[in-house]
Amino acid sequence: MSVPGSLPIAFVGQRKPLAILVLQVGLLTLASLGFYRFWGRTRLRRWYLSAIRPGGHPLEYVGGGSEKLAGFLIAVCFLAFWLGVVNLILMFASLSVFAAPALAYVLSFAGLVPLWFFARYRARAYLLARTRWRGIRFYLAPGAGGYVIRVFWHGTITVLSLGVLWPRMTFKLEKYRTDRTYFGSARLNQGGSWQMLQPAFAHVLFGSGFALIALALALTSTPRMALLLPVFGIWAAVGVVHYRVSSLVLMANNKTADGLGFVLAASPWTVMRIVGFGSLAMVIALLVPLGGLGIAVTLAPSELLEGAVDPMAIGVHGWAILLLVVVLYFGLFLAWGVLRHALITLPLWRHYAQTLTVTGIDTLPRITRRDAEAAGEAGGLAEALDIGAAI
Amino acid sequence: MTERTIITVGTRLAPFASEGTYFDGIHPVERDVAVRFDEAAAGLIIDLGEGDTITWPFKALRRLPDQAGSGDIILAKAPWDDPACLLLPAADLRILRSRASGLDRGRPTQRRGRLAILGLAAVASVGLMLAVLIPLLADRLADILPAEGEVALGEATLEHVRSAFDDTGLGLLPVCEAEAGRAALGALESRLGAGTPVRLQVLDHPMVNAFALPGGLVVIFRGLFDVADTPEEVAAVLAHEIGHVAARDPTRIALRSAGSIGVLGLMFGDFAGGAMVLFLTERIISADYTQAAEAAADAYAHALLIEADLSPAALADLLERLLGDVGQAPPIVQHFLAHPAMADRIAAARAAVPEGFQARPALSPEDWAALLSICAEE
Repeated sequence: MSVPGSLPIAFVGQRKPLAILVLQVGLLTLASLGFYRFWGRTRLRRWYLSAIRPGGHPLEYVGGGSEKLAGFLIAVCFLAFWLGVVNLILMFASLSVFAAPALAYVLSFAGLVPLWFFARYRARAYLLARTRWRGIRFYLAPGAGGYVIRVFWHGTITVLSLGVLWPRMTFKLEKYRTDRTYFGSARLNQGGSWQMLQPAFAHVLFGSGFALIALALALTSTPRMALLLPVFGIWAAVGVVHYRVSSLVLMANNKTADGLGFVLAASPWTVMRIVGFGSLAMVIALLVPLGGLGIAVTLAPSELLEGAVDPMAIGVHGWAILLLVVVLYFGLFLAWGVLRHALITLPLWRHYAQTLTVTGIDTLPRITRRDAEAAGEAGGLAEALDIGAAI
Repeated sequence: MTERTIITVGTRLAPFASEGTYFDGIHPVERDVAVRFDEAAAGLIIDLGEGDTITWPFKALRRLPDQAGSGDIILAKAPWDDPACLLLPAADLRILRSRASGLDRGRPTQRRGRLAILGLAAVASVGLMLAVLIPLLADRLADILPAEGEVALGEATLEHVRSAFDDTGLGLLPVCEAEAGRAALGALESRLGAGTPVRLQVLDHPMVNAFALPGGLVVIFRGLFDVADTPEEVAAVLAHEIGHVAARDPTRIALRSAGSIGVLGLMFGDFAGGAMVLFLTERIISADYTQAAEAAADAYAHALLIEADLSPAALADLLERLLGDVGQAPPIVQHFLAHPAMADRIAAARAAVPEGFQARPALSPEDWAALLSICAEE
């Protein structure tokens, strides 16, 4: 795009170096029994952000692995109490009131939901505070508690409206986050209104609406209506992806920051193609080692699989098979990570980066840095709850 | 990109000069700069133009790692608190490396001591939870848990055990229900007929094991019948497990596991997941009770056996045989038998036999044979 005063964004990341990095990080994480994951995530973030170059200058991730570990340790101190005592009391309550142990797991999971949104907000704050462009940091003002309250408030309204008001929730939550985001001294503002997202939501609404009607008819009067269920189901699923990308585009195009603006031209169809073909390629690529695993299991002596035999007695043949199974098992995990990054995550980032343009850059000299060195260990809860596994 | 050639003449090096982009970290404004070496001051001179220069010492130069772009390198200045950065062509890397020895050194780990303290605090809080708080709370709650709740917990745990030990990994371990065998088992049960109601289940698995579950469920693996020589030995094991039921030990363990699962899942992060249910199952079946709980269950069993005209010495016989077989025993039994209190338990069982005690056979030979083939297909 050659609008004066606008910066197109280049994406310089290549699949091969990323695949090598992911493999290296995966091996080190396995070898360190998971401890390296803090440094591994740091390296991946550094790589991905450095691949994005608005106006030719890369984003720079300055977070560190040790601060992630520190955040994780702090979160462990608190979560250990929460998970231990609360789970135990929930188990006791669901046993003594309903005599149903499974209910305790459901309740315990539900108890983590607010914590999850809290952690998401803090993780975003941490990521932004550790990201620089042209030497200036981003910043997300504190507000994780308010965010959780809004998630529940807007979520309740969405549920009460049977999902029709979903775009309202999307917009309000994004506005809450955006309006608290800064690039140096420049504060972002989410313009527009939630109604602008409504047309993009139509496919989800009609697809799922018709699917529900077909289901109701199939269950009551006309069993043949069940045949239409997959059609409406696919319509709704495509609608969800379409809505996610379209709403992102609409909201990005209505974001401003002290004269800076954004033009995003991401295409829902491209995103669907990337995810669709990427997943297909991953499945095909993973079927090969899985086939090998299957052969190994058929060749393994049956006593080994029963587990009741002394492991010393299985012999060299048995040990070789066992080793092969272990290597394939971990190899599958590593391959999954490498393929996911190379075939899905990287193409998606590339698409979003290349279709985004920053406008109004004449105002850049007005922006100065913030002094706040905030959110040092704020990512810890997210690390402990394993959020943000994408990178 | 321009090719650079370093020609060494005597001890003097060709002067280095390059161009790059500088960001001062205060305004997001790029400045085109010329850079050169000041060998005397051992620093990199960044010429901002109009006579403005900045010098970064060679030993403070750092390069950002893991960069996706290959055309350029990004330099920063140690100790990293200065937000300024400098982009240079990647071709300059070799000559920079010849001066800046710490170029590829990472960011120093901040506050190592604090990290160590946090690590200790995390380990301590997890340890406190697992070793003190959860057991304490579980013991209190086990005492006030209504009977229906215990039964439901026991049923759910039995399901876990049956699916965890199923060889196919898909179905449930079969329950042994040959009619004559069930009758023999029922006879043993009513002979022991204590004030504690129990429900006996035999599972078709070769492991030598028997354990109690919450709600009065006592589970025997077929493997026990394979090593037991007499019905008295089976009765002694049953009496011991009934002792655990009477003391509500399984409920305690199950509640403890419910509390521990979340904490352990947290520690192992993305590593475990489904393994936690297996862990719960393992805890229950390996019956890792305290020595005091084992001794109490034994004492209960001795009294119960004597009441039923059965000799507690049968328990000693069985344990001794298992000790003798330890070399060939499966690892889990080895672990069980390695318990230092084993010798004490054997001695206590022998000592519990009163002077001039007259025992009656636990089962007729026919019933004993029926019990041994309880898992046989009918």
